[in-house]
Amino acid sequence: MRHILKLLLPAVIPSWRFFDVIAPSPRIQFVLLNSAIAPVDEKGEWREFRPRPAHLSFLQMLGRMFWNPERNESLFLVSCAERLLQQPTQHSEDEILKRIIAELKANHSGVTEATTHLQFRLLLVQRQDSRLQQHIVFHSRIQPLSVQDET
Amino acid sequence: MNFDDAVRLTEILLGFAFAQQSIEHFNRFADERRLFIPRFVLAILLMIGFQTTWVAILLFLLGLAMLCRFQGPYNGGSDRMSLLILFCLCLVYIAPTQRWQEMAFGYLALQLVFSYFFAGWVKIINPEWRSGRALCDVFQFSTYPASESLRQWSKSPRVLFVMAWGVMIFELIFPLLLLSHISLIIALIIAAIFHFANACLFGLNRFFWIWIAAYPSILWFQARFIMAG
Repeated sequence: MRHILKLLLPAVIPSWRFFDVIAPSPRIQFVLLNSAIAPVDEKGEWREFRPRPAHLSFLQMLGRMFWNPERNESLFLVSCAERLLQQPTQHSEDEILKRIIAELKANHSGVTEATTHLQFRLLLVQRQDSRLQQHIVFHSRIQPLSVQDET
Repeated sequence: MNFDDAVRLTEILLGFAFAQQSIEHFNRFADERRLFIPRFVLAILLMIGFQTTWVAILLFLLGLAMLCRFQGPYNGGSDRMSLLILFCLCLVYIAPTQRWQEMAFGYLALQLVFSYFFAGWVKIINPEWRSGRALCDVFQFSTYPASESLRQWSKSPRVLFVMAWGVMIFELIFPLLLLSHISLIIALIIAAIFHFANACLFGLNRFFWIWIAAYPSILWFQARFIMAG
């Protein structure tokens, strides 16, 4: 009950602090593995999860007013990433892993018979004076790809 | 706009916003479908005006279940506004007298005004917003731009400076625009265009639909308390 109240109160008595500070921004990258052993080299084949499109036409933007599930899910994953950095929970890590695996299975992208596991990491992008810097700030557990999803 | 019309219009707009949100989850995970398919059905019932009291209460309970499922809002501010509108609608339905009903609906109208005013206030007290730097950062490295080509906007600091000040001034003067009916109508049109631009540039389509659902409350509030006074 207390937990629900804690989640509900910001909605009923909102602070409306939209974009007050432009905080360092997390990016989700993942790597496919052939075993449950973490990659030794950080420069391995880490890929950005669901990179944004190069360009959107005005018509596509209009369409997204009514049908925008991927973008909204990506925004939820950004929230999960921010929660992981502020107050790590298993829930946030599970949500990100689950959705990366679901997308990989849906697109069959880069998954071969040899790839058995997955790991993601969070990169924090921020501006230092006039230059952009990025730091690796989190590594997830290594997750078997065979885990049953609920799709 | 009278009270009954404003509440009815809110139900229709809220129902539409919820139906649109819910459809996006139909081909996702089973546990999400278990929440969003009933939500879609309830949203349609709310739109057609069937047993709105019970439907709104069930939607509110479903909203709480979603908060637990996602350990917070799925889409930040838009989910919070959704719950706030539902909360106020439920209070309107269960309030014992017209006076309490008006207080509940008036609370929604005031929160709508605050949503613009405080968003402007927290920006203008930040030097990075006043210099235009913050909006450059939004386009340069935040996760918000909906496409890579939009990041090019960060190379136009003068344009972004004007845009930042335009947004801050509009948000801060929003409460003053309640003083006349025509200025409020113009303000709501500008605000809707602002949300539409955010939807196009940052993919925040849910904000557009849900904020519009709160507009009838402010139109009623102005007619009831400001113009009548």
